[in-house]
Amino acid sequence: MAEGNRFNHTMKFNVKAEEEANEARLVLKEVYEALKEKGYNPINQLVGYLLSGDPAFITSYKNARSTIRKLERDELLEEMVRVYLISELEKER
Amino acid sequence: MEYLLLKGKQQINGTIKVNGAKNAAVAILPAALLTRETVEVDNLPKITDIDKIIQILKSLGAVVTCTGKRSISIDSSGVNSFCPPPSIVNKFRASYYFMGSLLGRFGQVEIPMPGGCNLGPRPIDQHVKGFTALGAEVELKHGIVKIKAKKLIGTHIYLDVVSVGATINIMLAAARAEGKTVIENAAREPEIVDVANFLNAMGAQVVGTGTDVIKIQGVQELGRAEHSVIPDRIEAGTFMIAAAATRGEALVADVIPKHLDSVIAKLREVGNEVEVGPDWVRVKGNSRLSPADVKTFPYPGFPTDLQAPMIVLLTQADGTSFVTENVFEERFNHLCELRKMGAKIKLGGRTAIIEGGHELSGAPVKALDLRGGAAFIIAGLISKGETRLEGVEHIDRGYEKIEERFKLLGVNIERRQQ
Repeated sequence: MAEGNRFNHTMKFNVKAEEEANEARLVLKEVYEALKEKGYNPINQLVGYLLSGDPAFITSYKNARSTIRKLERDELLEEMVRVYLISELEKER
Repeated sequence: MEYLLLKGKQQINGTIKVNGAKNAAVAILPAALLTRETVEVDNLPKITDIDKIIQILKSLGAVVTCTGKRSISIDSSGVNSFCPPPSIVNKFRASYYFMGSLLGRFGQVEIPMPGGCNLGPRPIDQHVKGFTALGAEVELKHGIVKIKAKKLIGTHIYLDVVSVGATINIMLAAARAEGKTVIENAAREPEIVDVANFLNAMGAQVVGTGTDVIKIQGVQELGRAEHSVIPDRIEAGTFMIAAAATRGEALVADVIPKHLDSVIAKLREVGNEVEVGPDWVRVKGNSRLSPADVKTFPYPGFPTDLQAPMIVLLTQADGTSFVTENVFEERFNHLCELRKMGAKIKLGGRTAIIEGGHELSGAPVKALDLRGGAAFIIAGLISKGETRLEGVEHIDRGYEKIEERFKLLGVNIERRQQ
């Protein structure tokens, strides 16, 4: 099918999934920066939170503790695994 | 002698910000001895247990400086003693965290058996088990615990009983041990997470807190750190239960609602409205309360520290409630005094059977322990007449100026000197 013809058809865009991915990225970025600024190891603290679900792992600095609760843990984890796998698979290609 | 005087039939109404967690702070400050560098700790509650810990730190040679309204810095470079003074240690239970921190710092510690509230037998056998497994020799003579290790070496430790104190003490000692320590059947309380946050901020390698397996990779030195203590879920729960019991309304702010899941669930179960925000909880008391079956358990179960306030609430329910204490088997000292106020409560083994629907009457009562004391304030608020509460020194150990806090919630309560 020619490129022009393809865009003449109705297409389905997964806007919700893309929005969630963007939000997860934003949440992780904000929390990462707050943890780092306060002298914590952001990776250890985030792993602790994802494993246990306890928001005590996340500093209250810059409202990071409330920010992390905007999304469920599985949503954050899904985005992290997705990004990791995509980047690793890209490397192998 | 000080006592609290409060009138009955008062409703809680207002907003209150929760202070830093006592049970985290009392372990974080001794942990500062594990480094020779200066650490700064913020969001400390102004309670007498913290005052005593600061006294012990100073007596050991630490320089403690007040850096803000609720923050201090601790410079432990000059600490040269591993023998905390018995006169202070005897007064409160959390002094046992100096066992783990001094053992980690000096490889030895001499400390009297800790004091604290009388909640029945609270042995330190799991602490001793942990220290011994790490290679220390533990001896108890003339009431003094002597712990000494040529070298602390990481190992696997299975706790026979889920113990917050033992979990933290082992973490403190293992932070600078050689190799890796694994604690299995560890306690999962948020205060343990907060202590690990502080240790990790100093450069320790502790992972798995908040789960029942904690791994600590020992490091040679720890460094400087800044840390802010998490909010006190027990103080928050006390005000939430008070709002429900008085059929009032309270917005309890600066909390981690996740830490209050079990309390929120029980308050809803008996008929109250509970709204949860990102860092606040609003409780609106219902005029008709249903009876409930409450069982205390280690986190994330219903906290034993809120058992006494919950019993007071259930005296107002329409029917018979059951409260089973599974953490400290003899933690029912408050029942005698509550009966003086007209509560109909029977005790069968570890279960209090509460016949609800009877009006309480104000009476002279005496707090025998910290959380029981807070429960008497709630009982006084819902009673008819005046309540005079002695034994305030127990309450001051864990609640900061409790009468001022309740005044913020619209309550008429006074501290008086006899």
